[in-house]
Amino acid sequence: MGKHPLLSEKRGEKQLLLGNEAIVRGALEAGVNMITCYPGTPSSEVVDTFRRIGGDGRYKMEYSVNEKVAMEVACGAALAGAMSLVTMKHVGLNVAADPLFTTAYTGLPGGLVILSADDPGCHSSQNEQDNRGYARMAHLPCFEPASAEEARAMTRAAFALARDLQQPVLLRTTTRVSHMRGAVTFHTLPQAAQTVPFQREPMRYVPLPAVARKRHAALNNAMQRAQEIADQSPFNIETSHAETKLGIIASGVARDYLADALISGGWTDKVDLLELGMTWPLPEKKLSAFLKNHSHVLVLEEGADFLERDVRALCQRIGADVSIEGKDEILTDMGEYSRSLVMQRLAKWFSCPCPLNPAPTPRTDLPGRPPNLCPGCSHRSVYYAARQVFGDEAIYSSDIGCYTLGVVPPMRMADFLFCMGSSISGGSGFSEVSEKTVVSFIGDSTFFHSGMTGLANAVFNQHKLLLVILDNGTTAMTGHQPNPGMLQEALGEGCSHLDIEQIVRAFGVSQCKKVSSYNLRGLIKAMTEFKDLPGIRVLIAQEPCVLYARRTLGKRQPNVAQVVEQNDDTRRCLKELACPAFYMKGEDVAVDQNLCSGCMVCLQVAPKSFKAVKREGGRP
Amino acid sequence: MSQDKRLRIFFTGVGGQGTLTATNLLARTALMNNLEVVAGEVHGMAQRGGVVESVLLLGGWRSPKLDHGEADLILGFEPLETLRALPYLRHGGSVFSSSDPLPPLSVSLGVSSYPDLETIQSDIQKVASQCTFLPCRELGTKAGSVQSGNTVLLAAACASGVLPITLEMLSQGIKTFLPEKHQASNLEALKLAEAYLKSAAQ
Repeated sequence: MGKHPLLSEKRGEKQLLLGNEAIVRGALEAGVNMITCYPGTPSSEVVDTFRRIGGDGRYKMEYSVNEKVAMEVACGAALAGAMSLVTMKHVGLNVAADPLFTTAYTGLPGGLVILSADDPGCHSSQNEQDNRGYARMAHLPCFEPASAEEARAMTRAAFALARDLQQPVLLRTTTRVSHMRGAVTFHTLPQAAQTVPFQREPMRYVPLPAVARKRHAALNNAMQRAQEIADQSPFNIETSHAETKLGIIASGVARDYLADALISGGWTDKVDLLELGMTWPLPEKKLSAFLKNHSHVLVLEEGADFLERDVRALCQRIGADVSIEGKDEILTDMGEYSRSLVMQRLAKWFSCPCPLNPAPTPRTDLPGRPPNLCPGCSHRSVYYAARQVFGDEAIYSSDIGCYTLGVVPPMRMADFLFCMGSSISGGSGFSEVSEKTVVSFIGDSTFFHSGMTGLANAVFNQHKLLLVILDNGTTAMTGHQPNPGMLQEALGEGCSHLDIEQIVRAFGVSQCKKVSSYNLRGLIKAMTEFKDLPGIRVLIAQEPCVLYARRTLGKRQPNVAQVVEQNDDTRRCLKELACPAFYMKGEDVAVDQNLCSGCMVCLQVAPKSFKAVKREGGRP
Repeated sequence: MSQDKRLRIFFTGVGGQGTLTATNLLARTALMNNLEVVAGEVHGMAQRGGVVESVLLLGGWRSPKLDHGEADLILGFEPLETLRALPYLRHGGSVFSSSDPLPPLSVSLGVSSYPDLETIQSDIQKVASQCTFLPCRELGTKAGSVQSGNTVLLAAACASGVLPITLEMLSQGIKTFLPEKHQASNLEALKLAEAYLKSAAQ
């Protein structure tokens, strides 16, 4: 196999890249030595791309067990002198915040760039927090690309700055930027960066109170330098027209919507622009001059009103007599911006009509197509068993992964969820004050992420909980990334398998059973036995993710299910198991052979209704 | 490229159909022909059997997300999803869609009903100046793989002249960007689409 196109050494070569792939190219151009991550949409393609391209020995990388660990490994590597990258989704940075705040004090000579991929609009997330707040709170220089090309260029610049200042630097994208494709022009591809030799310096790197107080001042000095750099940054661009007193300050993906809105409205010559790509520290000199030169300024930023508030504060400080506008009822802090929203906001600001064409009216009577557990998904049978055993009597504490989709009827297997790993600890707290049985569901990757600490706590504090570990042997939702529970043969060299049952038992859980997720009778028996027992009970339901089994492990069942009898049980199976491979053929229930994975759970639900038959041809 | 050649294309389909692969193929083909390209996708949870939407912008548009009434062209890989995406079309835009339904679960389970194809077509014709339905699954299967049915749709759009991408460019794109083992079926799908359009026009 030849070298991957992303490793092309041809300067000036142009490729169409995903924003996240462009970040990989930018990091390679900077000479990145070490990459760590915890996968999470919309960040995952960055590290998956590093894994796929191999890298010719340029870098080391790992899938860490959670974001805090990923951050600490990357910080350790950066302290040892490596140019390091750590990637995660926005909520991951909450998990990783502890080491981040303090390494900003000590500094990291090798250089650390943190990718936070935010998710305004909650495409795949539980909230839409705006991680530009972390730049302000932890004192991190921050870059916000708005195109694939900028993703490359700003990543490269972020590394240069991280090494120059010896400070962690935040690269903040949003879903639309991470998953945008655009033309990227390659810069030269150097060898991996030289590492910076570690100088033993405990009075810097061991933040005892006396050290930390001094380092806070050092951090402030570094950020002052960063501010001068931001004022000179080629990513902070002013576009001026001589005649206007109207100015717009914009950052992030709002710049894209603004560019299209100005052209669509015919307003290009009406306003001056100050577009910010290096958004923290604020380029105060540039901003001050812009504010003083305009009578009316509109601030456009998707997400929170950070920039707007900072601009307002700056105006007060420099005594600029300028009207500032920003968030309002059109552009709020909720969801995503768009071209037409920005057009409406601009029209209001200009006090002119908005030239938007009417759109066709959406039909509200169309059958929906919500995401669902796949046909043959090993979680479905576990949820079916739990519903049989507990019905609506138990409280279901869910967690983050494909299995969160168990919330959908007819399973209804999620009553609450906070964050990664919360099923166990949240469930523990709930059961302390509730008479109801609490059943917690957690996946294998999430168990390693932060379920283990919750389990240790549950044993230590003698909580009462039935924990079901849905072990499908991979990190399924984000694209089958490795985790410690993955089989050794799938992990290959360089990673070691950890056995979940051994861990659970080592934590002191004696009531622990392991059952195949496709063994319905075994699941129901185990749950029934565990139902009224006190203390911590752990059921490990194990069967590989059906997509992973097929695509990666090359396993495919030779048989599929077929309906042989239409009776009440057949219809009950359709209604209660609700496998997407079922469909109604007139009045009859049928199985789509192309969709059926051959898990044969339906044969156990309704033995007289289904039988296994040999798969005919089927999908490739 | 002048601004009047700026085009916004909305792709819609069902998770697993290859909507994003088709978007990427057309995007890379466009870039190879020196067009300005931005494409937008959403990955993750939606891909588990849900609706998958993407956009392709040609000629200098930058917004990676479309609003209702903004698309010049909808490429629908599933008829119900084409109808669902219709509000994204500007009045007078074009629609190319597969005519092969993939019923959502609620329809399979008999809880809701799938709109009939005539209703879908007539709804679309109220908005679109051009509306072409193709039996993508049938032609794809005939060409050698169900997935190459997506190329049938791309080819139909290219053949119609609404795109600044010709059939020859698409053919070249297939040869350049698709893995070798998929090239033959996709090139065949392109031919079948051309033949189908000719026979339909007669």
